[in-house]
Amino acid sequence: MIEVERLTKRYGSTVAVNDLSFSVAPGTLTGFLGPNGAGKSTTLRAILGLVRPNAGRTAVLGRPYRELDAPLERVGAVLETFDAHPGRSGRNHLRFLAAAARLPASRVDEVLALVELTGAARRRAKGYSLGMRQRLGLAAALLGDPEVLVLDEPANGLDPQGIRWLRDLLRALAREGRTVLISSHVLAEIAQTVDEVVIIHRGRLVRCATMAEVEAMAAGAARVRSPDAERLASLLAEAGLDVRSLGDGTLAVAAGPERVGELAAAHGIVLHELSAERATLEEVFLELTGSEAPA
Amino acid sequence: MTTLVGAEFLKLRTTRGWIGYVLALVVLTGIGTAAQVGSAAEVDLGTPEFQRDLVAGSLASLIAFLVGITSVTVEWRHGTITRTLLVTPRRELHVAAKGIAAFLAGVALAVLAVAVVLAVAIPFIVARDASFVLDSGLGARVGRIVLAAALWGALGAGVGSLLKSQTFALVAGILWILLFEALLTLLLGLVDLDSAADFLPAQALGAFEGSVDDALSPVAGGVVGLAYVVGVSLLGWFRVEHSDVT
Ligand SMILES: Nc1ncnc2c1ncn2[C@@H]1O[C@H](COP(=O)(O)OP(=O)(O)OP(=O)(O)O)[C@@H](O)[C@H]1O
Ligand SMILES: [Mg+2]
Repeated sequence: MIEVERLTKRYGSTVAVNDLSFSVAPGTLTGFLGPNGAGKSTTLRAILGLVRPNAGRTAVLGRPYRELDAPLERVGAVLETFDAHPGRSGRNHLRFLAAAARLPASRVDEVLALVELTGAARRRAKGYSLGMRQRLGLAAALLGDPEVLVLDEPANGLDPQGIRWLRDLLRALAREGRTVLISSHVLAEIAQTVDEVVIIHRGRLVRCATMAEVEAMAAGAARVRSPDAERLASLLAEAGLDVRSLGDGTLAVAAGPERVGELAAAHGIVLHELSAERATLEEVFLELTGSEAPA
Repeated sequence: MTTLVGAEFLKLRTTRGWIGYVLALVVLTGIGTAAQVGSAAEVDLGTPEFQRDLVAGSLASLIAFLVGITSVTVEWRHGTITRTLLVTPRRELHVAAKGIAAFLAGVALAVLAVAVVLAVAIPFIVARDASFVLDSGLGARVGRIVLAAALWGALGAGVGSLLKSQTFALVAGILWILLFEALLTLLLGLVDLDSAADFLPAQALGAFEGSVDDALSPVAGGVVGLAYVVGVSLLGWFRVEHSDVT
C-alpha cells in the first residue's frame, strides 16, 4: 500500500533519511516514530512526491505519488506546516482544492462538519488556533474520501479532548478499511491507536513491529533485591541477561521474574524482594532509539 | 487544464491581494490619462495617433507582470504550494496552469485599464470640442495592448516560478523594467549593438504593443515576447521540478 525502498535524502551535509526501507500493509494503522530530527517529515514528504530523494523510491498504491490519477481521491495528507493562505477562509481553501480535484463542492461542507470546523469555516485562516489549523488540514486530507492517509504529527496542538476526538476518528477510518500512516515523536500518544509501528532514528530504520510486540518488550523486566546482589548480578549476566544495579542491593533485570527467581533458587541466593516491572512505552522507545531519557 | 486554471482563478479571487493591484491600476491609469490629456496641445487632442497612444499609456502590462509574479510566489511564501502540489503533483501542469491563469488575468487587467483610459479621456476630449475616433485602428491597438498585457502576466508567472522568493522576484522584476533594461540598452549602444537591445523583453513587447518606436516590427516583437514567455516558463518549471517542498 505504502512502500519505501532504500530511500536516502540529504540536505547539504545533513543526511535526513539514510537508506530507509519499510512498507505499510493495506488496512493497517501504522505509527511512524522517531525523535525530533529523525527524518519522519522528510520521509512522508518523499512519499507524497514533495521531496526528491537522492536515492531509492517510494510508492503509494503501487505507484509513485506523482503518477497517481486523482491523487486526492487516493491519498489524503496532513503535513506539519500550515498550508492554507492566511488571508483566505478555511472554506474557500477547501473550495479551491475541491475545484482543482474536480470534487463536488458539497464535499467541502461535509468534511468541515466531520472535523467540527463548520463554525469557523468562513473566518480567515490567519485567526485560527493551532487546533483549528490541524482540523483544517484533516479536512483537506479527507476531502477526496481517500483510501490512504498520511498524517504528520496530526495531534500537535490538539487539546486532550481534541486528541481523543482524533483517536476516535482515526479508529473509525481504519475500521472502514483505510490505510493510515501517522507520525509522532511520542509513542504513548499513538500507542492506543495504532496496530504497528515503524521506528526510525537518525534517518535509519530501528524496528518494524506490531504493537503487541512492543507491549511485550515493555513487559519483560524484573526488579530484585538481595543481600547477595553482586553474586546474583554476575550470575544473571553470565546467563546472558541485561542487569543494571539500582544501588542498595537492588537490581533491574531485563527478564521476567520467573527466570530471575529460578536462577536465584538454583544457586541458593536469598532474595528479599522480587517483582515484575513494566517499562513504560516511553522507556522502550528511548531504549530502541538509543536516546537518553530526559533527566 | 481548464479545471486547474479555474481553480487558480478561485484562488486569486479568494484573497484580498488582487484588490491592491486593481486599485493601483485604476488610480494610476486614471491619473496618468488625465495628466496626458490635460497637458496635450489642442491640435493633438483630436488626432487618432494621440488617442491611440493614450490607450497604450496604461499600466496594465506592468501590473499584469506583478500579478503574475505574485500569483506564484505567494504560494511559496505561505507554504500553500504544499497543498497545491498534493492536488497537482505533476509540476509541469502546475506551472502551465499558473501561466495560463496569469495570461487571462493580464487580459482582464488590460481591458479594465483601457476602460479607465476611455472613461477619463473621452469626456475630456469631447468637452474641448474635439472628437474621439473609435475606429478599427484604435481597436487593433487595443487588441495588441491586451495581448501584450496577457504575455506580461504569463511572463510574470514564469519569473515567479524561477525565482520563488516573493520579495526578490518583485524587486528584480520592477528593477528590470525600470532600470536594468535601460542600462543594458545603453551598454549595448556603447558597443554598437543597438539593434540587439530591441530583443530585450520590455523592448520587444513594447514594439508589439506599439508603444516603442524604432524597434522591431509588431509581429517580430510579439514573437520575441512569446519566446521569452515560453523560455522563462521552462526555466521556472525546471526550478520547481527540482525544488524540495519542505
Ligand atoms: N529543508 C531542509 N533543509 C535542510 N535540512 C533539513 C530540511 N528539512 C529537514 N532537514 C533536516 O533533516 C533532518 C530530518 O528532519 P525531519 O523534519 O524529517 O525530522 P522529523 O523526524 O520530522 O523531526 P520532528 O519530530 O522534529 O518533526 C533534520 O536534521 C533536519 O534538520
Ligand atoms: Mg517532523
